[in-house]
Amino acid sequence: MATRAQTQPKPPAHKWGMVIDLDRCTGCQACVIACQAENNVPINDEKSFLDGRVIEWIRVERYWEGDFPDVKARFLPVLCQHCDNAPCESVCPVYATYHNNEGLNVQVYNRCVGTRFCGNNCPYHARLFNYWEPVWPEDLRNQLNPDVTVRTRGIMEKCSFCIQRIRRATRGGKKVEDQAFNPACVQACPTDAMTFGDLLNEDSRVSRMWEDERAYRVLEALGTNPSVKYLKQVDADA
Amino acid sequence: MPLTRRQFLKWAGATGVGAVVFNGCRVPDHEIAVQSPVEMPEDLVTGRDNYYATAAQLGTASEGLLVRVMEGRAKKIEGNPDHPVNTGKHGIRAEALLQALYHPDRIKRPLLRIAKGGPFRRITWQEGIERLTAILQAREPGQTLIATPPLRGRIADVARGFAEGSGARLLGFDPLGGDQVVREAARRLYGQTAQPDFDIARAAYVLNFGADFLGTWGNPTRYARGYGEFRQGARRSRGKLTHIGARYSVTAAAADRWVYAPPGSEGLIAMAVANAVLDGGDLPDADAARALTGGRGAAALQAFAPSRVAAQTGVSEDVIREIARELAEYKPALIIGGGPAAAQANGLFNMTAVYALNALAGSVNRPGGLIFNPPPRSQEVPAASLREWRQALTDMRSGDVTAVLARDANLVHGLPGALDATGALRSVDTIVSFSAFLDETAEMADLILPCSTPLEEWGTDEPNPGPGYATIGFQQPAVNAYHDTLSFGDALLRAAGELGVAALPWENMREATRALAQELHEQRRGSVVQPTFAEFWKRTLERGGWWDTGATADASRPALPQLPAQAPGVPQSADASRYPYFLAAFEGVGVGAGQYAHLPWAQSAPDPITTAAWGTWVELNPHTADELGVKNNDIVIVESATGRTLRAPVYISPAAPPQVAAIPMGQGHRAFTGYAARRGANPLDIMEPAEEAETGAFAWGATRVRISATNRRNVVPKLEGIEPARQLHGEELIFTHTPGRKSEQDH
Amino acid sequence: MYHRRTLTDAQINRELLDVVFRTPMWWVAIVSVLGIIVAGAASAFGFMMNQGLGVTGLQQPIFWGFFITNFIFWVGISHAGVMISAILRLSQAEWRRPMVRAAETMTVFALTVSLLQPLIHAGRPWRIFYWVFPYDWARGIWPDVRSPLVWDPTAIITYLTSSTLFVYTALIPDLAVIRDRSTGWRRTVYGILSLGWHGNPRQWKLQGIAGILLSALILPVFVSVHSIVSWDFGVSLVPSWHTTVFAPYFVIGAVHSGVSAVVTLMIVMRKLYKLENFIWEEHIDAVARLLIVVATAWMFFFWLDIVFGLWLREEQEITVWQLRMFEPPWSWLFLAFIMFSYIIPVPLWLFRRVRRSFTWMLWTSLMVNVGMFLERLIIIVPALMRKGPWTFTFDTYRPSAVEVTIIVGSIALVALLLMLFSKFFPLIPLWEEKEGQKLIDEVKVGDRVIPALVKEH
Ligand SMILES: Nc1nc2c(c(=O)[nH]1)N[C@H]1C(S)=C(S)[C@@H](COP(=O)(O)OP(=O)(O)OC[C@H]3O[C@@H](n4cnc5c(=O)[nH]c(N)nc54)[C@H](O)[C@@H]3O)O[C@H]1N2
Ligand code: SF4
Ligand code: SF4
Ligand code: SF4
Ligand code: SF4
Ligand code: SF4
Repeated sequence: MATRAQTQPKPPAHKWGMVIDLDRCTGCQACVIACQAENNVPINDEKSFLDGRVIEWIRVERYWEGDFPDVKARFLPVLCQHCDNAPCESVCPVYATYHNNEGLNVQVYNRCVGTRFCGNNCPYHARLFNYWEPVWPEDLRNQLNPDVTVRTRGIMEKCSFCIQRIRRATRGGKKVEDQAFNPACVQACPTDAMTFGDLLNEDSRVSRMWEDERAYRVLEALGTNPSVKYLKQVDADA
Repeated sequence: MPLTRRQFLKWAGATGVGAVVFNGCRVPDHEIAVQSPVEMPEDLVTGRDNYYATAAQLGTASEGLLVRVMEGRAKKIEGNPDHPVNTGKHGIRAEALLQALYHPDRIKRPLLRIAKGGPFRRITWQEGIERLTAILQAREPGQTLIATPPLRGRIADVARGFAEGSGARLLGFDPLGGDQVVREAARRLYGQTAQPDFDIARAAYVLNFGADFLGTWGNPTRYARGYGEFRQGARRSRGKLTHIGARYSVTAAAADRWVYAPPGSEGLIAMAVANAVLDGGDLPDADAARALTGGRGAAALQAFAPSRVAAQTGVSEDVIREIARELAEYKPALIIGGGPAAAQANGLFNMTAVYALNALAGSVNRPGGLIFNPPPRSQEVPAASLREWRQALTDMRSGDVTAVLARDANLVHGLPGALDATGALRSVDTIVSFSAFLDETAEMADLILPCSTPLEEWGTDEPNPGPGYATIGFQQPAVNAYHDTLSFGDALLRAAGELGVAALPWENMREATRALAQELHEQRRGSVVQPTFAEFWKRTLERGGWWDTGATADASRPALPQLPAQAPGVPQSADASRYPYFLAAFEGVGVGAGQYAHLPWAQSAPDPITTAAWGTWVELNPHTADELGVKNNDIVIVESATGRTLRAPVYISPAAPPQVAAIPMGQGHRAFTGYAARRGANPLDIMEPAEEAETGAFAWGATRVRISATNRRNVVPKLEGIEPARQLHGEELIFTHTPGRKSEQDH
Repeated sequence: MYHRRTLTDAQINRELLDVVFRTPMWWVAIVSVLGIIVAGAASAFGFMMNQGLGVTGLQQPIFWGFFITNFIFWVGISHAGVMISAILRLSQAEWRRPMVRAAETMTVFALTVSLLQPLIHAGRPWRIFYWVFPYDWARGIWPDVRSPLVWDPTAIITYLTSSTLFVYTALIPDLAVIRDRSTGWRRTVYGILSLGWHGNPRQWKLQGIAGILLSALILPVFVSVHSIVSWDFGVSLVPSWHTTVFAPYFVIGAVHSGVSAVVTLMIVMRKLYKLENFIWEEHIDAVARLLIVVATAWMFFFWLDIVFGLWLREEQEITVWQLRMFEPPWSWLFLAFIMFSYIIPVPLWLFRRVRRSFTWMLWTSLMVNVGMFLERLIIIVPALMRKGPWTFTFDTYRPSAVEVTIIVGSIALVALLLMLFSKFFPLIPLWEEKEGQKLIDEVKVGDRVIPALVKEH
C-alpha cells in the first residue's frame, strides 16, 4: 500500500531557468555545436539540411530587417523553452514527455511512439524528430557521451536543459552553488549571452536577470509560461 | 512501496479527468502534474570522468581547453576557465578537435608509396624515420623544404631547430597569410613584433575595418568574450560598434552601424576619419597627432579630405565625419582592422591608417584600447608571404628544391590556383607528408608519417595575439594515441636524434615541454610558483598553462612615424568593366579556408548569416541577381581575370552590396576525407595571385570577377526554411529596446 | 409510386445471391488486381518500417502529412454508413433499402483502414499497444487521457464495434437464407453465423428492435467520432487548427464525403453485380437530393471556419489562409478542392437528369471525394508549413512515392475488403428488399391502384 504522501510530488528543490541576452549574442553557433557534442546529437549531414531534417537542440535563427544598405540581421537562439504550461505535454498519449518537479520538460525516449503530435503543438519548434536511425562511424562513437542516451529513429528529441549535468550536480540532494555547473551551450557561449541557474535561489544570477527591464518571453501571449527569457536587443539609434 | 493498480487508476483517472474538465480554471499544480512513478528519462550511466587541461592552436586563435575523458575516451571539450585567452569559453573548431581525434578517415599508421602513383604500403615508424633521415641526408642544404602551418610554442622551437640542424628550409603556410600585414603595420607604427590584443571589454567604442573578429578573424572566442562585456557588462554603459567592410559578416550584424566600403578603400576611409578627427580640433591625443602628421595637423592629410574620400569610395562624408565625432566623443575608442581590408595590394597602407587611428584616439596600450603583447618566449614560425611561396614553387620547378616535407600545409588546395602548386609539387623528387588526413597534398606524398591530433600531443602554445601578458598554454595528451601515430614534434625529434642535430637535445616533445617548464619554474613568478619542479609541473598541467600578468610588453615605444600624405598608387587588379564584381571571399565559420573541412561539426555549423552549411554559395544582392537573371539556388559561373572559374548556387541576400559577390572559402576539396571531398568550390582557386605591394602578402581580398548565369540549379543546403526569414509585423519574436524610451513590447 | 417490375422472393434470392454461389472470372480478376495493389502498399510500408520515416516527404516542422490526411479521410468516409442506415432507418425512408448494407460495410472497412493510418504514421508502431489500449502493460503508466490521441482510438474502436454489430444484426436473416440453400462447409459456417435464425415472429421482432436500438445508440457515436477526430486539431496550438466550428464542420464534411462514397459504391456494385432491379434511378436521385443539403451545410461550415479564422485578423491565421488560397501549388489544390467538392457537383445535382444518370452520379461522387481528400490535406499541411510567426522555420512538404503508394493501397484495401465481403454476403439485404416488395405490391380497386399494405406512419 502506498501512502498518500508518496503520490504527492515532493516540494521542488529547484526550478531551472535560463536568460538569453540578445544584445550579447553574435550568432556564432558555438552553443549549437557544444550541444551536439554534449548530447549525442546525430551529425547533420548535407542531406539533412536539404531535407529540412536538421537536428539542433538549440538553433540560431536569423531574421532580416530592411534591405541593403539599411539592413540588419538579428539572431535568436531557440531551444526548448521548458514551458511550465507546456502544450507539448498534454497531447502526448503515452507520457513520453512530461514535466518534472524541477521545471523541466522531460522527454522519455523509451516511451515515445513517434506520433509527432507534441511537435505540432510546440509553438517554439523546439522538438525534433528522428526520421532516420542516427549513425556514427565506428570511430566517432568513441566520442559519444555515456551520460546521454543515443536516440533511435522514430522518436522525438529536444533540449533537455542538459539534465545529465543537473543530475550529476544535484545527485543525492546535494546543494549546488549558483554557476557551479552549466548546460553545454551556456558553458560554451563566448559572449556569455546565456545564463542558466536556479530560479528558486533568489541570489542566483539568473534570478536577478529574470527581472531585468529588457526581459521578455517569446510568444508570451500563448501563456505557455516558458522557463527561458530573452533580454531585448538594444537598438541604440532606433 | 509500489503503487497498486487500483490506486493508480484512481489517481490517473482523477488527474486526467480533472485536467480535462478544469483546464480553464486554476487547478492546484499537483493535481495536474503527472509524475512518472519511476525516475525514467535519464536512462543514464554515470561513470567516472576525468578532466585534462590542455591547449590548442587553432589557426590564428588559441584556446585553453579542458577535455572530459571517460574510460580513456575523450568525450567533450570545454573552455579552460583559468586560461587567460578564452576564460572558459570555446568555439566550434575547438569542439571539433574531438572529431579530428576519432575521425574515421584518419591515417592510422606510416605509409610508403613504392612507386610514383602506386599504392601505399604499411611500414613501421622505425622504417619511416629511417627513410626520412635518408631523404634529408641525401640533400644539400636548402634543397629540402618543410611546409607547416604557422607554428607557435614548443613545436616552433623544435621545427626551427630541426630545419636548422638538417639544412632544410622552413616555411609557414596559411592560405590567408596569417595577418602578417597587420603585424607589419603594428611593427612600423608601434615597434611591436607580437600582434596586439584588443581590450574590447573595456572599450566604449569600437571601429572595425574589415576584420570579422567576432566570426573568424584572429582570436574570435577571446574577442567575443570582450564583446559580450562591451555590450552588457556589469557596471558599464553599452559600447558602440561600427563595422566597415564589403561583406555583411557576423561582426557587421553585431555592429550598431555597418558601412559598406569597396574592398581596398579602407585605408582611404581611415585616413579621412583621421583627417576629420584632426580637423575637429578636440584631440584626444595631441602628441600622437603631432607625430603622425609631422606637426602639420589635418593639413598633412589634405589628400584625404572627407569630401574627396567620399567621392572616391562612395562612403558619404556625413558618415566619415560622424565616425570621427564618435571617436572623439566615446572614450576609450578602439580601432581594429584586418582580414580582407589587409589582404589588398595596398593592405599595409590600409592597416597603417587603421591602427594609427588608435594613437589619435589615445587608446594605445591603455584600458579599452590596443594592448601590446610581449614577444613570445618561443620564436614563432610565421606564415610566409605569397611572394616567398611563389619563390618556393619556382624553386621546386627549377630543381632547387627536391624534397618537400609537409605537415597540414595543404599547398594544393590553399595556394591560388593560378600558381599551380600541384604542378610544382609534381616536379619534386620526394614528398613526405606528416598530415593526419589524406588531403590533396598528402595524396601526392611518397612517404606518410601521420601526425597525431592535438588531444594526443605534448607541447605548448603561446597565443598570438596573447592577452597582453606572457602566456604559455600547456598541451598534454588527454588520451593515448588512438592510432599508430606520433606527434609532429616527436617525429622530428626522433629524426633529429638519428641525424644528430645538436640544437635539439630532447628525446621527445614531453621532454622538450618539461625543459621549458623547468625554465619557467626557475623564474619563480607567474601563475604557478612551487617549491619543487615536480610540483610545478603537476600544477601547470592541471591549470593548463602558465601565465604572468606582470610580464607585459615593453612600454617605451619608438616615436610614431609620419602618416603618408598620399595613398600609394597600387595596380588595379583587373579591369572593372570586364570584371564588374568584387570577390568577397570569407572564411567559413567552421571550415575556415578549408583547414577544418574534414570535420563534420565544422561542416554542419550553419553560416550565421545565410544559415547555409556543407557547401559553397554566392551571395548576391537581389537587384544584382535580377540583372543576371538568376534566382535562389541557380548555379552561376564566377570567373576571374586568371581565366579560372568556379560554379556555385546563388543565395540572394538582402545584405549583399550590389557590387559584391561574397563566397565562402573552405570547400572545393578533391580529397581530405569523405566529409570534405567533392563538395562545393574553392574561391582560392580562382583568385588572382596578387600581392600586397610592400610585404608580398597574399592580397586575397583583391580579386575581381564576372558572373554569368547557367540554366542549372543546385539547392544550397541551409537551415533556414523556404524563404528569407523576416519577422511578421505585430508577431515579433525578437524585441528591441531603445534606452530612454519606455520598454514596450513593440518596436 | 415506383414503376418497376415487381420481384418475387425467389427472384430476389436468386439475383442477390448469384455471386455468393458462383465465382465469376471478373471477380477473381478484380480481387487479384486489388490484392496486388494492397501487397504493393504493404511492401512500401515494410520498406518504410525497415528504413525509417525518412522515406516520407515529412520534415521539420511538417510533422503530419499524407497518412494523417488519409486517416481523416477514411474516418470521414465511414460516416455514411450510419448516416444512411440509422437516420434513414429511423425515419423509415423507403429508398434506403438497397443501400443500407453497402453503406454499413463500407463504414466498417473504412474505419478499419483509417485505424491503420495512425499506426502507419507512427515512428515506432511496434510500440503501439500502450498507446492504443488503455492499459498499463509493462510500463506501469496508463495512457494520458488528456491527449486526443487517446480519445481517437477509443472513439473509433467504439464506433467500429457498434457498426460491426449493426451490420451483423441486419445480416442474420440473410445468412439463414444462404445457410438453407447451401451444403457442406458452407452450411456449417453460415449455420453458425446465422445464430439459429428461423424467421419466427419473435426473432423478427427482436431483430427489428435491435436494429432500431443500435441505430439510435450509434447516432451519438457517429457525431462524436468525427468531432473527436477534429479535436486532434482543435485542441492544438497550431494556427488555423482551432476554430470552434471544427467539430460540426468535420462531422458534416464526413457525411458529405461518406454519402458520396456510398453513391460511387452503389453504382459500381450495380454494374458489377447486375443489380439493376434493385438499385434504381430513384435511389440515387434521393441520395443526390440529400447530398445537396449536406454539401451546402458543409460549405456553410467551411465558410464559417474561414470567417472565424480571419475575424481576429491574426497575422498567423492570415498567413496560413494566404498560403492555402494564393500560393501555388496550394492555390491550385485549393481551387480543385472547392470545384470538386462543391462548385461543380452541387449545381449539377440540381438537374434531375444528372441526379438520375448513373454515369453523371458516378463521376460527380468520385469528384467529391477527390475534393474532400484535398480538403483534409489543405487543412493539415499548410498550417504546419506556416506554423506560428517562425518565418525562419517555414518549410514545405512533398509526399514521397512511399506515401502515395500507401494511400493508393488503402483505397485498394477498402475495395478489396468490400469485394471479399460481397462474395460471401449479399450486398443488398434480401429481407429489406422483400419487405420493400410487400410495401409496393399494389392492388387495383376500381379505377385506382392502392398499396397492398397500408403502413402506419
Ligand atoms: N554491466 C552489467 N550489465 C548487465 C548485467 C550486469 O550484471 N552487469 N546483467 C545483465 C542482466 S542479467 C540483466 S537482467 C539486465 C538488466 O538490465 P535492465 O533491464 O536494463 O535493468 P535495470 O538497469 O536494473 O533497470 C531498467 C530500468 O527500469 C527502471 N525501473 C525500475 N523499476 C521500474 C518499474 O516499476 N517500472 C518501470 N517501467 N521501470 C522501472 C529503472 O529505473 C531502470 O531505468 O542487465 C544485463 N546487463
Ligand atoms: S554561443 Fe552565445 S553568442 Fe554564440 S550563437 Fe550561441 S548564444 Fe549566441
Ligand atoms: S518549448 Fe516546446 S517542447 Fe519545450 S516545453 Fe515548450 S512546448 Fe514543450
Ligand atoms: S512523438 Fe513521442 S513524445 Fe511526441 S506526442 Fe508522440 S509519443 Fe509523445
Ligand atoms: S541546455 Fe543542454 S540540451 Fe539544451 S540546448 Fe543547451 S546544451 Fe543543448
Ligand atoms: S558492454 Fe556490457 S553493458 Fe554494454 S551492452 Fe555490452 S554487456 Fe551490456
